[in-house]
Amino acid sequence: MPQFLKDFFNRNGFGMGLAILGLVLFWTIGLIILPQLSMLDFSFRPNLPPPEIGGPKDVYTLENYKYLIYGPEGGSQDYNAVDLRVFFRTLLAAVCVTIFNLILCYPIAYYLGQSKGSHIRIFAIMLIIPYWINEILRAFALRIIFGETGVLNTLFVGLGIWDTPFDFIRNDIALYAGLGYAYILLMIFPMYNVIESLDGNQIEAARDLGAPWWRIHWRVVIPYAKPGISSGCTMVFMLSAGALAAPQILGGPSSLWFTQLIYQQFNDNNDWPQGAAYAIVLLVTCILFVLAMMRLFKVNMGDIGK
Amino acid sequence: MNNSFLRISIWVYLVIFFLYLLGPLVIMSVTAFNSSAFPRMTPWECLTFQWFGELFQDQRILNGIKNSLIIGAGTVVLSVAMGLAGALMLTQIWPKLRATYYTIIIAPILIPGVVLGISTLVFWDRINRMLGLGADSVLSNGIFLTVIGQSTFIASYCMLVLVARLQRYDVALTEAALDLGATHAQAFRKILLPFMRPAIASAAVLAFLASFENYNTTTFTFGEYPTLTIELAQKVRYGITPSISALAFIIVALTVFFALLNEAKLKRQELVAAARKQATVEELAGKIKLPSFFAGNMAAVLLVVFAVATITVVGTATAYNPGQCIANVKEQKRLEAEQRIQELRKQREEQRKKREAEEAEQGGDQQSAPKPSNNSGFGNVFAPNTLGGDTEEESSGPETPPSNNGGFGGAFDPNSLQTDQ
Amino acid sequence: MSAGVGVDLENLWIRFGDFVAVRDANVNINGGDFFSFLGPSGCGKTTILRAVSGFLDPSEGKVLIGGNDMRGIGPNKRPTALIFQNLALFPLMKVWENITFSMEIKGASASQRRKRADELLDMIALPGQGDKLPSELSGGQRQRVAIARALCAEPDVLLLDEPLSALDLKLRQHMRTELREIQQRVGITFIYITHDQGEALTMSDNIAVMRAGVIDQIADGKTIYNDPNTAFAASFVGENNVFRGKIKQVMGNEAMIATNRSGDLVARISTANQGKLKEGDDAMMFVRPEAFTIAPDGTAGDHFVTARVTHEEFEGNVFNIFTECEGGKEIKVSLPNLGQSFEDHTGQNITLEYETRNAVLVPAGELAAE
Repeated sequence: MPQFLKDFFNRNGFGMGLAILGLVLFWTIGLIILPQLSMLDFSFRPNLPPPEIGGPKDVYTLENYKYLIYGPEGGSQDYNAVDLRVFFRTLLAAVCVTIFNLILCYPIAYYLGQSKGSHIRIFAIMLIIPYWINEILRAFALRIIFGETGVLNTLFVGLGIWDTPFDFIRNDIALYAGLGYAYILLMIFPMYNVIESLDGNQIEAARDLGAPWWRIHWRVVIPYAKPGISSGCTMVFMLSAGALAAPQILGGPSSLWFTQLIYQQFNDNNDWPQGAAYAIVLLVTCILFVLAMMRLFKVNMGDIGK
Repeated sequence: MNNSFLRISIWVYLVIFFLYLLGPLVIMSVTAFNSSAFPRMTPWECLTFQWFGELFQDQRILNGIKNSLIIGAGTVVLSVAMGLAGALMLTQIWPKLRATYYTIIIAPILIPGVVLGISTLVFWDRINRMLGLGADSVLSNGIFLTVIGQSTFIASYCMLVLVARLQRYDVALTEAALDLGATHAQAFRKILLPFMRPAIASAAVLAFLASFENYNTTTFTFGEYPTLTIELAQKVRYGITPSISALAFIIVALTVFFALLNEAKLKRQELVAAARKQATVEELAGKIKLPSFFAGNMAAVLLVVFAVATITVVGTATAYNPGQCIANVKEQKRLEAEQRIQELRKQREEQRKKREAEEAEQGGDQQSAPKPSNNSGFGNVFAPNTLGGDTEEESSGPETPPSNNGGFGGAFDPNSLQTDQ
Repeated sequence: MSAGVGVDLENLWIRFGDFVAVRDANVNINGGDFFSFLGPSGCGKTTILRAVSGFLDPSEGKVLIGGNDMRGIGPNKRPTALIFQNLALFPLMKVWENITFSMEIKGASASQRRKRADELLDMIALPGQGDKLPSELSGGQRQRVAIARALCAEPDVLLLDEPLSALDLKLRQHMRTELREIQQRVGITFIYITHDQGEALTMSDNIAVMRAGVIDQIADGKTIYNDPNTAFAASFVGENNVFRGKIKQVMGNEAMIATNRSGDLVARISTANQGKLKEGDDAMMFVRPEAFTIAPDGTAGDHFVTARVTHEEFEGNVFNIFTECEGGKEIKVSLPNLGQSFEDHTGQNITLEYETRNAVLVPAGELAAE
């Protein structure tokens, strides 16, 4: 037995050590690593009825990935324009949602992190409560508001600002508002954690030296809060790109989200390998994008999740 | 930059922010009490509690709640256990493996839920086949798959909560217990576990809530056991009714209640701890005087206000009968509808006359009939006319909302969607 | 009262990877002794304690408690109780629950535990404080609770890991006496870890002086102080003035060394090194500050040193004179305050005299860091 395992069992006792090790291995290998590998493997296989799985037809193929780029074989178009457009639109929209959330949440995170008093705790509760409400219900609430006879339209038409109701849903405004709404807390929390630990004296000192407020933020607060900002942005980006509920409920009839395509492959077309391939494409692209951004802004992986 | 200007803009910003955050929930809650068949705030028709009654008779919702509770319990147990084991491992893993290990156990938070659902489904399906088990085995059971799939990432959340507290744990405490004769299991149960209890409680609540509201992963794994969230999503996607608002209201109320309760309890603990510090030996021995539950405890006061409000609402609900109001509104709607029909008929009549006159003039070479009152051009597809058939006949029915002033909005009108179901 | 259970370390080696924390330790601790390991931080004394209590397996050699080899026996099965440096009181348990934790493990009833806790609280002079939480006690009170908790387990050997280091000076001195009293009352073996030579000297029957994993000397306090084996022991325990030189001549148990700056000096060879030091060896002579007296001007010889006074200070019980030999070597002299009058010597040359038996000669070696 290697020394570190021996130390581990010495420290935790044999029974407890075995329980800890067992649970950790089950989680990391059984739930995280193997299923992802299994999905990867699956995405390279043809869609076969169950009896033929493992049979002679079950060979590795790139067909599922080709489909995303070139569309069905013998299709009328050179490229799978529909799916590709959805894919890039999803990524772009996720980036927009992330930026929107960052701008919206930075001031509140700064305010909560740097001011003192009992009202901060009340604010914190008010922040957390919406997060405890079901994702579907939050989307539903926005649909009531953005609906054609919803509160906003009634208000604006009633005030005479618009003479006809505006279609928030078809124009995807409801969707973006819903996605932003869903992940506000995930953006605020990491930023708040970091900003809270920033010594207020640094800001005082900068102010004392005559720096205007925007320069204080640009030169002092934002560089300090970078781990929190990147952590929040990463989470919001990944979750928006992978969101399913909000696009299903708030998305306009003509605009699809990439996850909806995956959902369709699984539930409507019953083509699991194709769905797995799409999922892999989504996962890998998102990871690569986040890593590239982290490289660009010089952030470490260890900062995420803190 | 003027200081008071900054201050005012901060407050304006805060108000807007919290309006964005809480407004939708408030509006949604309010629609639960409007008798309008479509969840809306305006126009306000009658105060009603009928949607709550409908909710409690909805077998699918009740079944969904049951499944959600079972799956939630399973997920809490599994993910707190894995999260705790993961956190313990993180504090003592071989330093060279630490970064890799951390990346692996934090990754599920960032992996899209859809991907987790798919990979869980695919992996266990394969295991099931490898073991030669049938389609009805435990491994392909919806509850099992959902618990497994959700725990994959919920355990990461639990781990983060638990490791924060574990870092403040002094390993010497466990060693002291061992030294005093405890076994490792006893030291774990009597020393580490009580120390971790607050964090375990938070992690369990977090895990349950995350499981209860999860959609992305569950939608691939639920099989024969749809959770409440799945049922809600089905309902919301294929036609919305205020009974969903009623459910939302209950969930919002429960959440607020427990948040206040927790806050009040925390505040009380602080006060008690402060009192203990000052207490003399005699007071501790027998008659420690606790400060009254409310003293200096805002949250407790709010909690009581909240409870009183709830009792009032429930009391009103049992006594209140909106029948008369609803009848009035129906009557009014009927009148309005009739009036509209009259108007429409008149309009048609006029148009017909005009057309006849024009045809008479131009000899019928132009057939363009002006569209009747459809203000926005692009909405046609979803207008009630196209979906529901004859508008005039339908709008004369008593259930129709009184004003459908834009063409496309009808897409979210229960009437128009009935054809889809 | 029992005679107590002894502890023996036989050829004990403890390694962490390539690092040797303890090198070939051989110690016999008599039952009922108050035994201290004394050394600077990082010298391996805590490692030895953890090996005795069972948290560490020795890489080589044996730990024997009461003559029984402890290999493979976990900390919870050993007849030892450890008092941790930070005390490690269970923060969520009340004082009485803390004290009787070992009984809870054995399944004793609450009333039994309560009764025992009250007895022990009386013993540590904290009657009626059982219902408090550890965080509600003062530092000294917590200290005593930790001792009571360890004693409640009825160990044969009590291990203490610098338990007084967190206390302030006054309390520390008070607890020294108290610890010693408790040890004599319960009559079990105490093994005490400290870097504070004052604690070790006042409380211990025997002391092991440790340096970088090696035990330099094991003896009672007086011997360690007066007759150190090594340069390290001489310089670590108490204040000492060191004179380096080469041995010129060995005369029985005494020897003369040639120093660069103070001429030839005579000293007694420390007991362990008698017969080992030879002419031509590098050696170090140690003379305690209080062993010097001021000799009349003009006297000289092989137990006289001349030096210039740089400054003086009055400490109450002693009067310290700091002097400098030619070339910068400093010598500290402490004269006991017996009510005599002190002249101010600052700037003058004075002649210092010592008795040969008060100067100890050891082989040249590593000195303790200041």
